[in-house]
Amino acid sequence: MNCEVCQLKELDVEHFEIREVLRFSCNQKGLWCQAVCNLMKLIAGILHTILFHRALGLVRPKDIDLELFEITYVQCGDVELERKIDEKIDQFLDRVEKHPNKKNQICLSFYEVKNKQPTWFTNKVERLYWEQWYINLNVAQHQKGHSGKSTSSKIVVDPEAEERTVRRAALEASLRDVLFQIIRFVNEKKDHIPPIPNLEGVSFPYEITISRFCIWNGNVQEDAPNRASYDAQLTSE
Amino acid sequence: MDLHSYPHGEHGRFEQIFNQFLLKSLHIILDSRVPMNRPPSRGGEIRKSDRWFNLVLGDRPAAMDSLSFWNRSLMEPMVIDIILVQESSYSLSEHDSRSTLATEMPAETVIERWVVQYEHQRSMAPQIGDAFYKKTYKKSIILLRSVYSMLRLLPAYKAFRKQQSFKQNCGFEINYKICSFGSPLLRSEEESMKNYSFIPIDAQQGRLSVSVMYRKDLSDFNLDSCVSHPIEIISDYVGSPLTDPMRAFPCTSSEKGHSISFQTRGRQSAPPSPFQRPHSWSSGLQRELSSQQSQPYSASPPLYRSPYEYSSSPTEAYIQRNQNQRFTANQKAPCDEILSPPFSSSPSPSPPTKSVIPFHNRRHPETAPMSIPHPMIARSPRYLSPNLSDPNRNSLPPLSPRNTKYDSSSHESPSGIRSIRRLDSTRTGEMSNTPTNAGPKLSRDSKEDSGRFSSLLSSSSSPRVGLSRTSSRLSFQDDFGDCDCPFIVDDVDPPDNQTSSNLGARNCSEVSSLAPSTMKKSQDAAVGALVHMLKTAPPLRQESCYYNTQSSKTEFEGEVGAASEFFKPRKASDAFEELKVYRQMKDLLLSKSSAHLVSKEKTEF
Repeated sequence: MNCEVCQLKELDVEHFEIREVLRFSCNQKGLWCQAVCNLMKLIAGILHTILFHRALGLVRPKDIDLELFEITYVQCGDVELERKIDEKIDQFLDRVEKHPNKKNQICLSFYEVKNKQPTWFTNKVERLYWEQWYINLNVAQHQKGHSGKSTSSKIVVDPEAEERTVRRAALEASLRDVLFQIIRFVNEKKDHIPPIPNLEGVSFPYEITISRFCIWNGNVQEDAPNRASYDAQLTSE
Repeated sequence: MDLHSYPHGEHGRFEQIFNQFLLKSLHIILDSRVPMNRPPSRGGEIRKSDRWFNLVLGDRPAAMDSLSFWNRSLMEPMVIDIILVQESSYSLSEHDSRSTLATEMPAETVIERWVVQYEHQRSMAPQIGDAFYKKTYKKSIILLRSVYSMLRLLPAYKAFRKQQSFKQNCGFEINYKICSFGSPLLRSEEESMKNYSFIPIDAQQGRLSVSVMYRKDLSDFNLDSCVSHPIEIISDYVGSPLTDPMRAFPCTSSEKGHSISFQTRGRQSAPPSPFQRPHSWSSGLQRELSSQQSQPYSASPPLYRSPYEYSSSPTEAYIQRNQNQRFTANQKAPCDEILSPPFSSSPSPSPPTKSVIPFHNRRHPETAPMSIPHPMIARSPRYLSPNLSDPNRNSLPPLSPRNTKYDSSSHESPSGIRSIRRLDSTRTGEMSNTPTNAGPKLSRDSKEDSGRFSSLLSSSSSPRVGLSRTSSRLSFQDDFGDCDCPFIVDDVDPPDNQTSSNLGARNCSEVSSLAPSTMKKSQDAAVGALVHMLKTAPPLRQESCYYNTQSSKTEFEGEVGAASEFFKPRKASDAFEELKVYRQMKDLLLSKSSAHLVSKEKTEF
């Protein structure tokens, strides 16, 4: 069985170094919280959109608004799924903070369980992956140019606000492109989907892995290069 | 190839999938684009229609009930236009001397066009088999999920959310139109739109495809202005029913109020209810653009007519019919058999048959109302004689065949009706024409008579209607055997049951007073009362002398058995004889009373 791989378009997101957070003013701490929340919601939006197209059992769709980006994505409405995704996102944020200014990848894989005959040494079950999604995030550390003036009552935010607005608009457009890419991929590739083992929640077993190591063009690399992968074919419209 | 009756077999299953796909896609699109007032969803209850494609969407918009999908051909696409209706003001030309006021005309722009269709491909070999249609169904599920997600990413979703939030305070309105063809768009409109086609799904002998043409950018419409709309004072405020409940709010005045306030405020649109919104497929609700000037935004005019017909919630009934015996999935099988469409076991649904009118439904008969003579039995025996000159005679149904055997010369009126006429007439001279035809004699069992009367009284213009009504009515007719009672209606209880409760033990003096009271009741009740009276009335023979006594209540009852004599055919000579008898009785009584008085006086002295 083929394993269809989809490399989603890379997203440039900003993140504050956690070491600097304590030195932030209240306003900047709020911005930091907002940035963290937005990043979490962004990743959750992408994962839920993929899983909504792979949960072929009876679902009651739930619309979730990303207020920052004015984008609405759809969830399955499965509470257990939401909890798992939130856990994975927390793990991702921990890793991002430990390794700032790195390209990171979240991999969502769907597989089939093939029972392998247990031997004396192993009792593993074999997993046959039939679909893999790579969410590529370029988490840039927030350039805080006024760290020395954090105690000042006046915070010069206008240039930063404008820059933030520009970055936000670009991120919103990229996120929308990623969601379109997901829809396109799930429509193009349907024949590889195996028989459904479970109608409850996500119909297929899946796993979410977070790695600093990227799979780029089929090769494992420590850092993803600054170019698009051959797998991710985002056709221009 | 129509969808109104699914053929059996593979093709029927595919047609069912396609039909449900159309409904589901329409439901998704309307839910995501047009704010509609729908009843609150029933919590966690999952409807049968939600199980199709495993997507729970809740209650369908009311507009979908009026779409008759079964009249569609499989080849016709479903084109759904999402139209943005916005006010565009312009001033009248300077040459118009009447008015220079700015007139606001609604501008309608198609911002999205969804096309769902089945592309038939003759060259394609027909795909058959359970595995194939299940695979088609699985792909359809994924496709609908994609459509659902896509609807939230397109620019029109933002407009939908704004209208949903601000409702009347928006500067625009979103309408929709469903057709089987797409109206041609202007070149400028086409250039501003983008096309996206979902990957088609291989179907039985073709492909199931969904495509959308959408406007890339809605910034030209200035949709963000709804929040900052200035608040203006309405000078002609009509008032609120809450503050002034006693004040009437006629429709015209309220509309005028809206229209005036519309002009002063720049824009005001009442959100039309789903039932008021005219659709392109509703032939009776089309409004032209010109009419909108007087009634702005009371409803959006459809631009084109659609071959879809109006009907009253047949779709839902059709779907529920199909899903009453749906295909139950075997969840134990770890394969695609779990994901099976909820087919119905009867693939050829039929519209619901008309319900049989129940026997207890007391509707008035469909024939012309007939006047029932007053049951004035107590006044004179002559009333017991039939009067063939009764003007109402011809309005009564003729004799049943079984009843005509007693008199073949006359077919005009049954004896039962003659009995009624006796109560009304004083012209005994007309007894010469007394028909010798005798209806069923009262010597027969009362059941027959009651059946006869019921056959007479419950007249109907439709023959043999009674045969199909109720079993109790049928039992009456069974008693008649081969009796043909064409004028039976089902709204008359057997006279036994009816009149016995009405009359019971009433005296003749009360009967006369009862007569006008019964006339006030329905005709049926009066007729039943008459029947009972006639049945319980004593005969016109020797025993009928009890009629003139004061306490005839009990005598009425006592004469039930003798009432069988009542309906014997009589001639004028018989009537004269009776008259003589009564006179003799009267003389006798008078003489006795006088003799009694004389003897009493003697004893006193």
